[in-house]
Amino acid sequence: MRKHNGIAISVFIFCAATLLVLPTGCKKRQSARPRIALVMKSLANEFFKTMEDGARAHHKQHAGQYDLIAVGIKDELDVAQQIKLVEQMVAQGAGAIVIAPADSKALVPACKRAMDAGVVVINIDNKFDEAVLADKQVSIPFVGPDNRKGARLAGEHLAGKLKAGDEVAIIEGAPNTFNGIQRKLGFEDAMKAAGANIVSSQSGYWEMARANQVVSAILTEHLNLKALLCANDSMALGAVAATKAAGKSDAILIVGFDNISAVQELLKEGGILCTVDQHADKLAVYGIEYALEMLAKEGAPADKETPVDLITAETL
Amino acid sequence: MATTENERRATSIERRRLPSMPAFVADYLGMALALAVLLVIFGLAAGNFFTLTNFRTIANQVSDTTIVAVGMTFVLIIAGIDLSVGSVMALAGAVLGTCMVRFGLPLPIAIAACLAAGIVCGLANGLVVTRWRLPPFIVTLGMLEIARGAAHLVTDSQTKYIGSAVGVIAGRGLLIPFIVAVIIVILGQLVLSRTVFGRYIVAVGTNEEAVRLSGIDPRPIKLGVFVLCGFLTAIAAVISTARMEAADPNAGAGLELRAIAAVVIGGTSLMGGRGSVVSSFFGVLIIAVLEAGLSQMGVGEPTKRVITGCVIIAAVILDQYRHRIRKTPKP
Repeated sequence: MRKHNGIAISVFIFCAATLLVLPTGCKKRQSARPRIALVMKSLANEFFKTMEDGARAHHKQHAGQYDLIAVGIKDELDVAQQIKLVEQMVAQGAGAIVIAPADSKALVPACKRAMDAGVVVINIDNKFDEAVLADKQVSIPFVGPDNRKGARLAGEHLAGKLKAGDEVAIIEGAPNTFNGIQRKLGFEDAMKAAGANIVSSQSGYWEMARANQVVSAILTEHLNLKALLCANDSMALGAVAATKAAGKSDAILIVGFDNISAVQELLKEGGILCTVDQHADKLAVYGIEYALEMLAKEGAPADKETPVDLITAETL
Repeated sequence: MATTENERRATSIERRRLPSMPAFVADYLGMALALAVLLVIFGLAAGNFFTLTNFRTIANQVSDTTIVAVGMTFVLIIAGIDLSVGSVMALAGAVLGTCMVRFGLPLPIAIAACLAAGIVCGLANGLVVTRWRLPPFIVTLGMLEIARGAAHLVTDSQTKYIGSAVGVIAGRGLLIPFIVAVIIVILGQLVLSRTVFGRYIVAVGTNEEAVRLSGIDPRPIKLGVFVLCGFLTAIAAVISTARMEAADPNAGAGLELRAIAAVVIGGTSLMGGRGSVVSSFFGVLIIAVLEAGLSQMGVGEPTKRVITGCVIIAAVILDQYRHRIRKTPKP
């Protein structure tokens, strides 16, 4: 009896899986339009969710021009999985891959293999490492915002509220990402220019709870802290909670990055001083349009900078 | 009649496993000593470590992990494991956040929905484990994925900012989360060592077959433990959401391993049949003090992880050693 159950269930699961897979497989085989694969980082991250939604909306309007395959990895640190995805997209016969690499270095060889197979590769969001690109002798066009500039904008806005010598701390993103490093550098540029004293710079690995713990510790160690510069908004939320718990909400200014929906209210209330919008919804669209352009005329690849904007309570 | 006989038997199993009074005190004393050593080290190494705010911060931060660790202690004692607690916490928090932000429901109803989500996940884990006799490792691994996915579906992958409407629970320096956690630890220890259910739990973990042969059905006991774990995880979700004033679908990543580490540092055996809720609490405190102290000293994340890992292993070795000493004189 129990055995029969088991067989019945496995047969059911197999059938269900086949039914799910078959139609998508057939659809792909029929089309002659160029297929563009959008390979993102974690879809668990609101930023990439917005990016994906933007790409899908664009595809709906231009459905006749290309087919879109949007894929992402489970969490941002799963670099191996993203490499697999790139290989799968090549195997599926994608004409172009628009990729937001989870690691600025580790994804280069996989993309080089894709290019050798004749696939157009466009780099968005997180820029590939120059040295690795040079070593592999490839040039991959980068379409995306200047994160360092964005962070500097936010830092300069903060600097207007600080005096020289004020103590500030930076909550960094994951240390193996280009955009994380760029944002840290941008914050540092602005703080050094303002003569502020950076007393601590630690990683919150992009996460709210992790940042909360790190910020709590920094607040205990540095009693005169005046501001916290966080490399993304999730970490800024964690920082807001930590300053509140320490009873220092009024004394400490907090800066975020990404302009996610959860910080809108806090920006209005003044819980977060400012954030930076790099237009996630447009980012993938720029990449896709650029890919279509390159597929059409095979032009020499050049980088293309997309806008970054400072968001404060006034600009909302 | 039969039940009382079985109860007596289960009790006697428990009584034999209970260490004599001095050893019992020594158990906690060892943990407390380890904690004290850490406190002294960080007190010397990091400035402002011995301050009221610092202890208040640490106390608030440990509350959610503590509550999850209590549930995990029970699961480990029945020789099970629950890998889904981190995801379930995210899902329960997501339900709370969505209820309040998207549907504008009042806090008590949102909390009820949040607790229900936790209980449902625990119930699902327990039912599958007992009905098909599957290893809890596999079942809860599946639930880890299911609950995480569900948390993203519920929130549409967006962090929900709730604000002070939920923050009232956490209070300002009132330490409510910590008090709740301590009460749960005390209740958990009482249930484990003073109730029939607690003794059955230890008995199931020691020898499930023997329990079954004594005429007690182990399945409702196991089911109850998984439901309890889900319920406690949901309480932890309420507290962590209140503390952050936001519900993050990525919350609780790696929480299962942190909770298991804390419970194991507390001397609970992964093989089941042995464990203490109070010791797990010490385990949580040791890890939390270690993390907070290292962060304050500005130690980088990679180094912090290496040190935490070493402490976990060292603690378990010490625990083994302690048990061996106690056992050798009386074969």
